[in-house]
Amino acid sequence: MIAAVRRQASIYFSFAAMAPKMMLAYSIWVWMEFFVQSMGLVIFVAFWTAVYADQATIGGLDLDQTLKYIILARIFAPLAMNTNMVFRFGTMLREGQIGIELLRPVDFQAANYSVSIAFILTDLVMQIPLAIVGWLLYRFQLPTDPWVWTAFIISALLGNAYVFFFDWILGCAAFFITETWGLSVLRFAIAGFFSGALIPLAMMPDWLRVIATVLPFSQALYVPVGLLSGILPVSDAPTIWLGQIAGILVLGFLSRQVFRLSVRKVTVQGG
Amino acid sequence: MVLRYAGLYGEFLRQRLKVLLEYRINFLVGALSTLVMQGASVLAIWVVMRQVPDLNGWTLAEIWLIYGLLTLSKSINHMFADNLWTLGESYVRTGMFDRFLVRPIDPLFHLLADRFCHDGIGDLIIGLILVFAAAPGVAIAWTVPKVLYLIVAVISGGVIFIALNLITGVSAFWVMDSVPVIRVVFETHEFAKFPLAIYPQAIGILLTWLIPYGFASFVPAAYLLDRGISPAMAWAAPFVAAVLFTIAYRAWLFGLRHYSGTGS
Repeated sequence: MIAAVRRQASIYFSFAAMAPKMMLAYSIWVWMEFFVQSMGLVIFVAFWTAVYADQATIGGLDLDQTLKYIILARIFAPLAMNTNMVFRFGTMLREGQIGIELLRPVDFQAANYSVSIAFILTDLVMQIPLAIVGWLLYRFQLPTDPWVWTAFIISALLGNAYVFFFDWILGCAAFFITETWGLSVLRFAIAGFFSGALIPLAMMPDWLRVIATVLPFSQALYVPVGLLSGILPVSDAPTIWLGQIAGILVLGFLSRQVFRLSVRKVTVQGG
Repeated sequence: MVLRYAGLYGEFLRQRLKVLLEYRINFLVGALSTLVMQGASVLAIWVVMRQVPDLNGWTLAEIWLIYGLLTLSKSINHMFADNLWTLGESYVRTGMFDRFLVRPIDPLFHLLADRFCHDGIGDLIIGLILVFAAAPGVAIAWTVPKVLYLIVAVISGGVIFIALNLITGVSAFWVMDSVPVIRVVFETHEFAKFPLAIYPQAIGILLTWLIPYGFASFVPAAYLLDRGISPAMAWAAPFVAAVLFTIAYRAWLFGLRHYSGTGS
């Protein structure tokens, strides 16, 4: 039994191990991303500082809380932005790779989840220099309470899984439309706003906050970063986890059903 | 010659539309996606600005004008010169660039005409919406010269975008993958979405004289709003664009002379 689990784990670990190799293959891309992200941070800090010039609080948050949240949200943005399943489905279909992927004797969804997690972990490691720049720009204090970090890590993992299943359902559209560049940009834009990467949900008017709460993206970014930055009380963590687990169960089940039906439309291109 | 190239561009565009319409849903979603992408940023600014009176003295309508002008300039580059991004990956590395060199048309024109980017339509629509939405809320007497200046400023801004992408994109002739080089410079346009006065002075100087995206947004907006930009400075935009494009084209020719095919 243990040997079988180990064998399975090593198979999915092998899939996951490809991600850092792919992402770090071209160091110039890593440095470019660091530069672009750092520049974004400078813009955000300048913008928010100007916004708060004549205002003590906005949406119940003061400048310190907002800057801390925004910097952390930029650092942890890959949690909501980078599952990238829509784009990956499109690439696999366009290049005919889907034929090989579906023939592998592994669970297709589990293999992709392993790869997705590895991409995000690699991305987060690559965000460390950005965190240093963020700290130098604005010397925010991170919490020392281990319970806050535990709440953050658990809600981040659950929230990311929630988004992964949502993206999986969206990605299945590739079986019908083949080319998914436009759809992946659309998903990126919607997630960028409703995940809380641009502004904290607390500042949104009610109607936008309702949409952000219904969509899963905020569960992977606003919620964990809200816990870490102190915007959300850590005592809410158990309720948050229960909500996330319920979302995972529903979307997890739906994603497998949608894939089962959609894959019948698969066209393996090339020859 | 101009007519011949205009006719050729029309032919390239027709062929490109046939390719795009092969995947119709993706075509529509692609055009819509940029609209939503820009819309998300605009919505975020609106959410924040509705809760404060101004941003360093700039009202929401004035910020729409700055943002809208930049987006319009960007849309020109996005629709007509997006192929500069793929020069390394899709043409130099694959050897496809060789075919541009054996045809009786200018290779740069061929590269740009080879792919009209429909994603840029979203930028154009958002830019127009922002400028029209800003117009009633700003203190500008809209006379014919001012409207003409606006058009000149947008076209100059578009040329500045293209020229900067061309200067950095030429690196593809040496490094094959030029996207990181292009992006490092291109992304600095994000600064120009807001009044340059909110940044440290060095950034304002950089965005005006070294990487002059300021001429695509802040400078024309501040001139139209009569906020400390002289007519000479404002009308420098087309000259800056012309000088920058001349430099870019020379860099392109220099790159062409050093191009060696990858073989096949």
